[in-house]
Amino acid sequence: MASSSSFFTFSSQTTLHSHLHRNTFLTKTQFPVPTKSSESNFFGLRLSPSTSRSPLSPCSFKSSIFAKVNKGQSAPDFTLKDQNGKPVSLKKYKGKPVVVYFYPADETPGCTKQACAFRDSYEKFKKAGAEVIGISGDDSASHKAFASKYKLPYTLLSDEGNRVRKDWGVPGDLFGALPGRQTYVLDKNGVVQLIYNNQFQPEKHIDETLKFLKAA
Amino acid sequence: MAVSLQTKYPLRPITNNIPSTHRYSLLHVRVTCSATTTRNKPQAKLVVENRFMSPPLSNDPSLQSTWTHRLWVAAGCTTFFASLSKSIIGGVGSHLWLEPALAGYAGYILADLGSGVYHWAIDNYGDESTPIVGTQIEAFQGHHKWPWTITRRQFANNLHALARVITFTVLPLDLAFNDPVVHGFVSTFAFCIMFSQQFHAWAHGTKSKLPPLVVALQDMGVLVSRREHAEHHRAPYNNNYCIVSGAWNKVLDESKVFEALEMVLYFKLGVRPRSWSEPNSEWTEEKDISNNHKV
Repeated sequence: MASSSSFFTFSSQTTLHSHLHRNTFLTKTQFPVPTKSSESNFFGLRLSPSTSRSPLSPCSFKSSIFAKVNKGQSAPDFTLKDQNGKPVSLKKYKGKPVVVYFYPADETPGCTKQACAFRDSYEKFKKAGAEVIGISGDDSASHKAFASKYKLPYTLLSDEGNRVRKDWGVPGDLFGALPGRQTYVLDKNGVVQLIYNNQFQPEKHIDETLKFLKAA
Repeated sequence: MAVSLQTKYPLRPITNNIPSTHRYSLLHVRVTCSATTTRNKPQAKLVVENRFMSPPLSNDPSLQSTWTHRLWVAAGCTTFFASLSKSIIGGVGSHLWLEPALAGYAGYILADLGSGVYHWAIDNYGDESTPIVGTQIEAFQGHHKWPWTITRRQFANNLHALARVITFTVLPLDLAFNDPVVHGFVSTFAFCIMFSQQFHAWAHGTKSKLPPLVVALQDMGVLVSRREHAEHHRAPYNNNYCIVSGAWNKVLDESKVFEALEMVLYFKLGVRPRSWSEPNSEWTEEKDISNNHKV
């Protein structure tokens, strides 16, 4: 059931904000509506706003997802240290599209696949005029070793304490047991235009974001 | 002052001029010397670790069955037969056949799942110093390095560890329960788990040397196939863990259950599974020796 899957996907990290001017509905764009809640959690969720009525009641908490950073909103600024220990602010990237991807941890199989996939497609992102930033809770030293080992050409930021992850409302997986894997595409004005979530098919983040950037 | 000296014998092919009686001690033993030096007389204490540095030969005692091994296999089989008898006799007495049969089928299916989960855990966590299962973990490590040696193990040698577990588990169930459905499940589950090492050995066999019935059962998917199990023996050694029928392998691998469990254990307990790291020399199959020793 989509409603149960949406509840399952978004853990207690998401909260209801009264200032949100529209509801956000969970839609599956690539896969059929799952009959098992576990499927939706793992195999690709794209958040998009919808003003049309859907079978999911907008009044039900279970069926509505209230992320702190939604599509159409200006992404809140942050300053985090990069892999060299230098502080980097998100506002520095205003004027060009930015792909901000939150991942669980360095040197884990899925995150390595994702990082290498971003690396291998980095030229395509640059051609689209976009920058790529990876964010996890690991420290700068871990990022430096990870980036060096896999020759990652883009910035990795250290979100110690997962403060930015919480501020942005990145949902966890498996009832919060795992930090979520969610990617945001910001336009040149810093407004979120795409949010893609997929824990166990990390390479799809690259496909989805590139597809969006090319179509934009 | 304590001085620790470790000597490793390099891997090299067997040479004919070394008497066979000496081969084991020369090539298979890592010698650790710890020496405490006083001014005049160092007191060396020799500690021998029985760790394989090169693959065991066919006549290696570690591959042969002992009477202890045979006793454990006999005990395991006895508990299994007792359970099976209770299921059949109880079923006949109650005019039940379908329910015990279905329970038996469930036992066969779940034994495959259980073999996969256990194999995943043993392959990825712990080492030889882990309590209770340390020797098993070491054996699994040696198996990955020289997979074909399992085909050289004698029957009771190969099965005795599982037979011991089955004996301790099934005996209380034999004594506590008479229900034919319960024993339908227990007997097939126990049989499949106890004989999973034999199914595993057959999965490492060559088609021409296996009994035709075994080959047929493998081809039908009743027993884990040679091709499917070979996938497990490729880096990074993180899939195809089930070794009874292998029916659960596709489901477990495609649904990324073990990947999810590994991530949860990493974030909750901080332990990394072995499959996340580049396989080290202790784990990686020695292909050159494997090719020389395969028949």
